Amino acid sequence: MRRIFIVLSIVAFGLWACSKKNDATPSDSIKILSLTSSANPVMAYDTSVITVEAMGANLQYGWVANHGRIKGSGKSVKYSACISCMGLNTITCKVFNDTGEVSDTIMIRVTPWHTKK
Amino acid sequence: MRWIKEFSFLFLLLFCSSGSWAQCCTSGNPFISDAEQPALQSKILTASLAYRYSHSGVYFSEDGHFNELPFQEVAYSNYAELQLGYGVTNWLTVLSELGYFFNKTFETPGIDSYKGYGLGDAALYLKFNAYTNSRLRLSISPTIGMKFPVGVFDQEVDNVQLPISVQPSSGGYKYMANVFVSKGFGKIALAGFASYEYSQLIQSENFYYKYGDQWIGAIYFNYHIWKGLSLDLQFRNEYRAKSTRENNEIVEASGYDVVFLTPQLTYGFKHNWYLSAYTDIPLYKYYTGVQMSFGYAVSARLTKKIDFLALKARNQAKKINNKTM
Repeated sequence: MRRIFIVLSIVAFGLWACSKKNDATPSDSIKILSLTSSANPVMAYDTSVITVEAMGANLQYGWVANHGRIKGSGKSVKYSACISCMGLNTITCKVFNDTGEVSDTIMIRVTPWHTKK
Repeated sequence: MRWIKEFSFLFLLLFCSSGSWAQCCTSGNPFISDAEQPALQSKILTASLAYRYSHSGVYFSEDGHFNELPFQEVAYSNYAELQLGYGVTNWLTVLSELGYFFNKTFETPGIDSYKGYGLGDAALYLKFNAYTNSRLRLSISPTIGMKFPVGVFDQEVDNVQLPISVQPSSGGYKYMANVFVSKGFGKIALAGFASYEYSQLIQSENFYYKYGDQWIGAIYFNYHIWKGLSLDLQFRNEYRAKSTRENNEIVEASGYDVVFLTPQLTYGFKHNWYLSAYTDIPLYKYYTGVQMSFGYAVSARLTKKIDFLALKARNQAKKINNKTM
């Protein structure tokens, strides 16, 4: 009985932990025109401004960086990364409204930090 | 005999979790660093609530300060953890924990801070009473366990994803094994603790990252100062291998080796309540690449212990007394 209780507890924890989903629906009424960065590659701790241009009504913007940090919100944000985020990183822009969502990505290479002279 | 009991109570109220915080900014629960405990006896329940404040603000490269960055950043967190332990039998103890971050903040002057908050990880551990000899005052307690990323991950503010370093949950499973050995010598007790943790790949919708393996070794010195008051001194070495990211690329600025001193005071109150306070002080730090290093942490833990066998015996004695009266 005790063993059953332990096994059930482990299974319950596992099931609880495995509940992640993306319920965004694609939209035909939104179109991303461009996704650009002001600097690429960018040195660690420096900043690159990333801007999205999109068509659609009442648009909202979401941003995700797989490594590094995004500052600000809206259609233009600042991206920076520390030394532990060096490499080719992906920044995803999601544009959405009531009709759904579309997304695009831009790759930015983060290079080693050095003193500016 | 009473001294032995008090000494074992000291350890009974001290749970240990496995996590990582020496690399100041990692996702998931921090390491709650109070002294480890042996397995509980049968039908004993312990419930404890721990609070921890952690602060970091100095960059390190290898074993020295790195002062060349043209800005200063700080990271700090306020964290609470609920832990339950139950002695299922005399040889098996089940332990569980659940963490919550009130905040996990990363600040750069002049820029809005990043602040994550919410439920962290849950954990389940099985601790075994492999060997106990009360005459020699020796006990050996191995543990296996697992952490579950039940909490908040992929957290966003204003539709912008927070960096992985301030996400409350680990985002991936962690597997842990450790062994705890304690031995009494006169008025002093010595204990040793060795732990290994394997972190599974974080493969969320937005992150692909794997923390390196973690090894922890600790030595504890325990001294019973006065009545219910005890002092623990802990020397602990935390080592973490480098992380990996997409395409098995090694993250050079990610491994570390830190030696801590953790002094701890514990007081036992009436009715099996215990309060302990402790702090983590890094004595030596080595970081690969350039990383923000661990600063300090202060923690407190309140624990209640319930012995169900003793309660039952007390209730039976009351019934007998009532009948005889």
